[in-house]
Amino acid sequence: MIGREEILKVLKRALGRAEGPTEILFMGGRSELTRYTKSQIHQNVAQEDFTVYVKVVEGTRVGVARTNQLAEEAIAAAERKAREIARRQPENPHFPGLLGPQEYTPTETYCETTARFGPDRRAEVLKKIFAKAAEKGFEVAGSFSVSEWEVALANTEGLEAYQPVTGAEIGLVVMSEEGIARADAFSHDVEHIDFDSLAAKAIARCELDRGKIELPPGEYTVILEPACLAEVMMWLSFTAFGSESYLSGQSFLSGALGERSMGENITIYDSAWEPEAQGLPFDLEGTPKRKVVLIERGVNKGVVFDRAGAKKAGAEPTGHAGPPGSPWGAIPWNLCMAPGDSSLEEMIASCKRGILVSNFHYVNGYLDTKRALMTGMTRYGTFLVENGEITQALANLRWTESMLKAFSNVVAISREREVFARGGAFFSIVPAMMIEGFTFTGVQRG
Amino acid sequence: MFNPRERREMEVKAWLLEALDDLKRTEGVVYADARYLERETESITVRNEEVAGLSHEETKGYGIRVLYRGSWGFAASGVLKPEAVRETARRALAIAKASYLTQKKPVKLDDTPPQRGTYKSPWEEDPFDVSLDEKLELLFSAVRILRKDKRIVKAEGAMQLFHTRKLFLSTEGAEIEQEIVESGAGIEATAVEGREVQRRSFPTSFGGNYAARGYEFIRSLGLVKNADRIREEAIALLSAAPCPVGEFDLILAGDQLALQVHESCGHPTELDRVLGTEISYAGGSFLTLDKLGKYRYGSEIVNLVADATIPGSIGSFGYDDEGVPAQKTYLVREGILVGYLTSRETAPVIGRRSNGCMRAESWHHIPLIRMVNINLEPAPDGPTLEELIADTKHGILMQTNKSWSIDDLRLNFQFGCEIAWEIMDGKKVRLLKNPVYTGITPEFWRSCDAICGKSEWKIWGLPNCGKGEPSQAMHVAHGTAPARFRKVRIGSGK
Repeated sequence: MIGREEILKVLKRALGRAEGPTEILFMGGRSELTRYTKSQIHQNVAQEDFTVYVKVVEGTRVGVARTNQLAEEAIAAAERKAREIARRQPENPHFPGLLGPQEYTPTETYCETTARFGPDRRAEVLKKIFAKAAEKGFEVAGSFSVSEWEVALANTEGLEAYQPVTGAEIGLVVMSEEGIARADAFSHDVEHIDFDSLAAKAIARCELDRGKIELPPGEYTVILEPACLAEVMMWLSFTAFGSESYLSGQSFLSGALGERSMGENITIYDSAWEPEAQGLPFDLEGTPKRKVVLIERGVNKGVVFDRAGAKKAGAEPTGHAGPPGSPWGAIPWNLCMAPGDSSLEEMIASCKRGILVSNFHYVNGYLDTKRALMTGMTRYGTFLVENGEITQALANLRWTESMLKAFSNVVAISREREVFARGGAFFSIVPAMMIEGFTFTGVQRG
Repeated sequence: MFNPRERREMEVKAWLLEALDDLKRTEGVVYADARYLERETESITVRNEEVAGLSHEETKGYGIRVLYRGSWGFAASGVLKPEAVRETARRALAIAKASYLTQKKPVKLDDTPPQRGTYKSPWEEDPFDVSLDEKLELLFSAVRILRKDKRIVKAEGAMQLFHTRKLFLSTEGAEIEQEIVESGAGIEATAVEGREVQRRSFPTSFGGNYAARGYEFIRSLGLVKNADRIREEAIALLSAAPCPVGEFDLILAGDQLALQVHESCGHPTELDRVLGTEISYAGGSFLTLDKLGKYRYGSEIVNLVADATIPGSIGSFGYDDEGVPAQKTYLVREGILVGYLTSRETAPVIGRRSNGCMRAESWHHIPLIRMVNINLEPAPDGPTLEELIADTKHGILMQTNKSWSIDDLRLNFQFGCEIAWEIMDGKKVRLLKNPVYTGITPEFWRSCDAICGKSEWKIWGLPNCGKGEPSQAMHVAHGTAPARFRKVRIGSGK
C-alpha cells in the first residue's frame, strides 16, 4: 500500500508540471494467488504492479498514455506521449471536458486482515480442507487469492478521489472417482469466509454426484443455483446493460426502454453499496457512482453511461466509466438481481420433475444479442429432481436459451443471494431461481 | 555508448543474477529462474467518425520463480531497484516454502540443457516508427467505406502493436535475450434493421489478424480494399434466410477452422490441463494419458502440429519462457494422438523432454503451457476451396467466428459464425444468417473427409487466448486450409 497521501502527492506534483488540462489515474497494488489440484499446491504467485494512466486534453481532443513506473520522469514521458497522441486526433464533439471536485458517498471495500493473509495462512487453511476431503477419499482443486489495491484520481480542475480495496476469493472443487462439486466465496474481509462450511457444502454435493446418466435434450423445468446466474449476469453487463451495446443498437434495450422484456418478478440493478459489492464510490473519470435500475419488474428501465456516452444519448452519466483510452464504454460492474421469497430447498421440494444445475460453464452471449440468446454447458454437478427430491446425477448438458424467454418463465426466486467476483473486477449478487421450459440442446459425451 | 534502455537492462540483469546466485546457495532451492520484460503497446480503435480508444503503454518488470524442495513459488515486481529485486526473490522463496507445506510429490524438471542465445522476430518496418496520422488514416479510410450504408450503425477499425524485449536467466546458467515485434488489425461492420442485428468482420472477427511482423503486415491486410465487400455482406445478412437445422456436410473456411483447432485440439493437448491443473478454471481434457499413441482423434487425413519455428507468426519465438528452444512436434499424425504441448515439469510424466510451450503473458505472470502455432496441415495435392465446393452435393459453408462454447473436457462444442452459404450440386446457391454448428470433438474430426491444399493454407494469429488464474491472454496462431466434415449437426435447436 502506498496510501492516499503519498499517491495523491505524486499525482498532484505531476499535474503541477503538466502543459495543459490533464487527469491522472493510478490503479494497482499487490495480488497473491494459490492454486491447487489433487489436494496439493501447484502454483503460488504474488505480484506487485500498478498502471498510471495520463489523460491529456487539447481542445476537445484527448490522448492517453500508460506507464507502470511512478518516477517523475516516467509520468512526464507518458504526458508527452499522450499530448502527441491528442494532437494527432480529430476533434471529438462528444468530449465532455474534465470534471471538477466532486462529493462521493463512501463504500466499504478495505480490510487490513485480508491484506495480511499471506501464503502461509492460505496453505494452513487449505491443509485443513484437504484433510477434511481426504476423510471421504476425495481430492480438492481450486484457487485462493487475496488482493490489496488502490485507485487514485486527480486532475488539473481540482478533482481528487481515492479508494483502497481488498478482496479474498476462494473456489473449492471437490472431486471423487466419478463426481465433482464446487463451492465459492468472496469477501473484502477474509474473516467473513466460513471455510469449514464451504468445504462441507462441496463435499456433501460431491457425494451425490455418482452413477451419472444421460438425459436427452429438450425443455425441462430447471433450478439454477446462484453461480449459474453470475455467468449470465456477466454476459448481460457487456451485451445489454453497457452504453456501447445500447448506443450501437445491439442491446435488447436499444430503442426499447419502457417495454416489457421479462417477467414481473425480475428486477436487475447496479449498485456499489450492496454489501460485498466491492463498488467504488466513483468511476474512472471521477463521476460519483449512482445506483441504476436496469430492469424493474420485467420492464426495461435503463443502462449505464460514462460522460461521453451520456452526452451522445442525451442522458445523465451514471458513474460507470472504464479506464481512459478504452473503447468499451460504460459497463455495470456491480450487478444485482433482486431477491425473491423462496429458497433452494423449497424449489427442490416443489419441483415435480426438473433439473438442478450447480454451475454454468463457458457461456457465450453473442448468438443473438437482441434476444439475449446464449449457450453454455452445465458443470460441477447436474441432477435430476423428481417429486421434490434429488434422485439422480446427470451427465453435463448443453443449453441454448434466450434469457428474455427464461426470465419471463421464472416461477421462484430465493431470498438468499450469493456474491461472485469474476477476475476481481466484475461482481454480481444473485439468487437461485426456478424456470419453466428451459431448453437443453446437447449432452457431454466422448 | 549505451542508451538508457540498454543501461537499465544491464543493471537489472546484474541484480537478477545476484538474486539467483543467492537463491542457488540457499538450502532446499533446487532451481530458480528470472525473467525481465519491457513492452511497448499501442492500441487504436476507430468507431464511426471518432477515435473510440487510443492508448500507448509502457510496462517493465521482472518475475522470479523458485523451486524449493520440489514446490514452486513465484513473485514479481515492477520496482526497478536492487533492494526490490532482493525482496522479490525472498518473497518467491517464502511462497515456495508455503507451497511445500501441502506437497505430496515433488516437482522434477526435465534435463533440457541450459541455453545461451538471442532471438529477434523478423520485421521490416517498426510499427512504432510509423506516424499515428498514417495509422488513423488507414482505419478511418476503411471505416468511411463501411459507413456508406446508413444501416451500418457501427463501423469499427482496430489496430494493436507490440514491441517486447525479454531476458531469461536461470540458476542452471541459461541466459537468453529475445526481441519480438507484433502487429495486427481488423475492421468490423454491424448492421441493424428493426430487431435484426448482423455483423461482418475482416480479415476475421475479434480484432482481425495478427503476426510477429512489422507495419508491413498491416499494409498487407487489405483493410480498405475489402471494406466494400464486408459492408455489403453485413447488409445482405439482414434479409438472408436463417440457416437450416439438421445434419449437413459442413465446409469451414480457414478462419473458423482456426478457432475449431484452437478449442478442440490446442487446449485439450496442453499437458498441464490433462494433468488437472486447470480443473477449477476452464477445465480438464478428454485426451487423457492412456490415449497417447493409440487414440483415433480424427480421420486419417488429419495431421495437427505444434510449430513455434514459423518465421513471422505470433505463435513463434526463439525460446519459451523457461528457456527451452522453439520446436516443431506432432500432436495428431494421420488421425492418431501422438503428442502433447509440454513443459520441463510435465514432459517427464510422458517420458519426454519439454517441447517448449511455456509462456507468460508478461513479467508479472508465471509461465504456463500455452499453444504456439497449432496447425492443421494442408492435404498434399488437396483441392482449392472452389474445387471442394464443386465436390459437395449438398452442404453449408461457414466463415468467421461469432460465438464459441465448449465443455470442460473439450468434447461438446457449439460454434456460431458470422456468415454461411448453402451449397447445392457444387455451387453456393444462397446466403444464410445466424449459422451455428455443434458436435463432439473426436466424432467431428473423424468425419473430416477433405482438407484443401497448400495454396489455401494460411496462418491466423489470435492475440487473446485466455488461460490460467490470474488470467493470462496469450498470442497464439493456427495455420489452416478449409476442410469438409460429413453429417454435422447444424443449428442449436433454437
